[in-house]
Amino acid sequence: MAQEKEQPKTMRDVLVLPFEMALGPTWTKFFEAFKDEKILGTRCSQCKRVLLPARPFCPRCFEPMEEWVEMPQEGTIVTWSYVNYTYFGVTEDMIPVVVAGVKLDGADCSWRARIRGFDIKDLDLVNKKVKVGARVRLVWRKEKKGNIDDIEYWEIIE
Amino acid sequence: MRKVAIVEVQQTPGSESSLNLMEFTYKPVKELLDKVGMRRDEVDTYIAASSDVFHSGMSCANAFDFDAVGAFMKPASRQEADSMWAFHYGCLRIMSGHHDTALVVGLIKGSENADNDTITSCFADPFYLRPVGIQETTAAAMQMRVYLDRYGITEEQCARVVVKNLGNALYNPYAHIKKRVRVEDVLDSERICDPLKAMECAPKSDGVCAVFLASEEKAKKLTDKPVWLKGYGCAMDTFYLGDRDLLNTQLKTASKNAYSMAGIVDPKKEIDVAEICESYAYQELLWCEQLGLCGEGEGGRYMESGATQIEGPFPVNPSGGVLAMNPYIPRGLYRIAECALQIKGKAGEHQLDKKVKTALAHSAYGFAGQCHSVTILGS
Amino acid sequence: MGRAVAVIGTGQTKHGRRDDVCYPDLIREAVKAAMKDARIAPQDIDAVVYGSMPSMMEGVAFNHLYFSEALRSLGKPMLRSETCGSTGQSLAHTGYYWVAGGMAETVLVVGSEKQHEGDAQATMSTIPEPFLHRTIGGAPAAFSMQAREYMGHYKIDEDKAREAAAIISIDCHEGGYLNPYAHIKVRLSKKEVKEARVITYPVRLWDVCPSSDGACAVIMAAEERAKKICDRPAWIKGIGFRGEEYFMGDSSKAVWRSAIEASQEAYKQAGIKNPRKEIDVAEIYNPFTYQELMFLECLGFCPPGEAADHVIKGVFSPRGELACNPSGGVLCTNPIGATGLIRLAEAVLQVTGKAGPHQVDGARIAFSHAMGGAQQFNAVTIVSSEL
Repeated sequence: MAQEKEQPKTMRDVLVLPFEMALGPTWTKFFEAFKDEKILGTRCSQCKRVLLPARPFCPRCFEPMEEWVEMPQEGTIVTWSYVNYTYFGVTEDMIPVVVAGVKLDGADCSWRARIRGFDIKDLDLVNKKVKVGARVRLVWRKEKKGNIDDIEYWEIIE
Repeated sequence: MRKVAIVEVQQTPGSESSLNLMEFTYKPVKELLDKVGMRRDEVDTYIAASSDVFHSGMSCANAFDFDAVGAFMKPASRQEADSMWAFHYGCLRIMSGHHDTALVVGLIKGSENADNDTITSCFADPFYLRPVGIQETTAAAMQMRVYLDRYGITEEQCARVVVKNLGNALYNPYAHIKKRVRVEDVLDSERICDPLKAMECAPKSDGVCAVFLASEEKAKKLTDKPVWLKGYGCAMDTFYLGDRDLLNTQLKTASKNAYSMAGIVDPKKEIDVAEICESYAYQELLWCEQLGLCGEGEGGRYMESGATQIEGPFPVNPSGGVLAMNPYIPRGLYRIAECALQIKGKAGEHQLDKKVKTALAHSAYGFAGQCHSVTILGS
Repeated sequence: MGRAVAVIGTGQTKHGRRDDVCYPDLIREAVKAAMKDARIAPQDIDAVVYGSMPSMMEGVAFNHLYFSEALRSLGKPMLRSETCGSTGQSLAHTGYYWVAGGMAETVLVVGSEKQHEGDAQATMSTIPEPFLHRTIGGAPAAFSMQAREYMGHYKIDEDKAREAAAIISIDCHEGGYLNPYAHIKVRLSKKEVKEARVITYPVRLWDVCPSSDGACAVIMAAEERAKKICDRPAWIKGIGFRGEEYFMGDSSKAVWRSAIEASQEAYKQAGIKNPRKEIDVAEIYNPFTYQELMFLECLGFCPPGEAADHVIKGVFSPRGELACNPSGGVLCTNPIGATGLIRLAEAVLQVTGKAGPHQVDGARIAFSHAMGGAQQFNAVTIVSSEL
């Protein structure tokens, strides 16, 4: 009888690396405004575009973005996706999630948002309600910590 | 080969910054562009040097760096390695004829990442070296042990490097660690990895260094003091320390190639100053030997002779070197920037008295200097 | 414009799940194969270019240090380039510049990934900015959102896009079946593709690339040396690279400027005026079927908004007017650090007549491409059998 070929081994190792990242003045101001339920964008002095999240400088003009603009908290869906799989940091109980790109009124770019406010487990219902061009409104979390989770979700404006 | 020149350089100081990495990088790049008198979109190409997950906690650092270095809608790339490699790549892009200007930026915020040793322990392969505890400091300690034993180099001679460099750093506004110390202070500092003492190991700094490169034609329009690339050499060593003679390094190969390209036959005579990468004090002595500045085994005596002091015949690390300022990735570019400033006569308080026509910049990283790069710059 | 540069040899590993070798040996496999194809010895190599995705993927930092022997780099200079998913193409460009710049005659370029050794998604989850974007969506979500933006922008009927994406999936998987190096080998029906499990709607299981282990090595040489030692060099005629802003919402991903301008730069260098007519084979970066529709338009192969129609008509099938991804593409094989370079290697195999079972007859000019980041970077390399 032929000898069974030995399977090459594998070895398990887990790497953990700590980081302490500075928010810097721009994002400190941006997130602190959440506590007052305000969304602040920045406008470029050259191209006049308003970007969200607030930026220290305009990536195209390369000028500092020093003009702060308080944004309305409603916008339009530019794109969306129904996320139905797990990956690192996302477990079964956390999905499905509807992620979207939302362009707030007055902004010159879209930014990431999560859509909720109805039974998002129903894909047919999601397809009915969530459309490119649909209007959405921000829903704040009651307890604010000054980070992105202070925005609980965005709801469809029927 | 098409000539390449450094037009201007910009550095940031090494102490902890409260700016986030994007703001921290944007500022010196913008200042450099203003100094050169060009807009972001007028530059032909961009090369960033950074370290992604391990040093910055972000994958594909190129994605993050892109905006901050000014590369929007430009041909660009990134080196996940010491920034002297990015400098080399920027030069190649101009030499190819495809580009006339290049902006090279090295960036890191050492204050945000883990200890140097935690990160460099991740260089180790998971099966043999990591379980044994090899990281850059333990590897350096072993190289230092062989160095002391084989040639009779003394710990006191190594300590003198710290005294010189931290003292030189007092005159460098960008240095991180700067102070007057005595040899006794160094020898008394904690033996963290015998024979290495705590004060003989480089710190962990924040830093961004940006260098503006141009073709001959462009450079002459942009500055009246271009600093020319004369030679470059780089050589990789084996990964496993046991495969090498730790005192016969690839710095010999790298410098030989750089000298050959620059037409340099006698480095001691033909080069005026050197900025070399001495993450561990003894390395300055060893690298001087490997660069051919003194004989084999003579590094300790060379240090004692005073030749490498800032007022000596061959100053080494007038900026304070890596012992004074260690932003892990940008440190190669800092060496180049310091050499360029010396040649331009713009090094301020640590400008050498003598005229600097030719300078040598060196960078090394990896276990016991697995990679060495040498750049020769000239007026 | 500098010296002419040719690819004189390529090598690939059998991509897939490679628990049979350690990572350095995986790289050795590709390097050996490339040197054999180029008929050169390690001492003939002047310089080495290496790259991969952030090496946290396999848990070893600066892994070009670990691989220095496998890369035969002892005593040689090295560059290590990284541009996320477009790394493979950026590696090719690095090698090209090294030779064109005159500081090397022969360069070894290697890209690799061994995704089964780590958590690829975990590493990629730290691409987005830490304070704002990290909690939202992984790579599939980003790609699905681009598809949705594209359909919204051009008012493309979802069923039509679904049909075109299904055809792309079937054609690519067929190519993967024929390609000896490809990872996924499966033959699919349209029904299977359209009804597969939803990953991130509208993207389903067979619209998505696998997670692969693999390495690719390419050897480049300057004109004089290439002509002397290689009887079928593949000349690099044009390269291009562009990138957009870090935040995905800052630029349109339907009218994708970086893809448009990167390819236009390459066409300009190569003197190509009508891409669809003049190019014989295109190896386009397609980890997601839908994304190929955007590429077909933005890389200049069909008018904006019309990609789905052209795909349904068969214009871009392996036997169509412009054969796309005859190798099976990224959809069948995706060791990310190598993927962009594999596109070049496959383009080279096509124009040198060495592609074997998936050879496109009479291919002389081939286009290779890769994308990186959250739809941020696009890189192109065009090769030809003629100088």
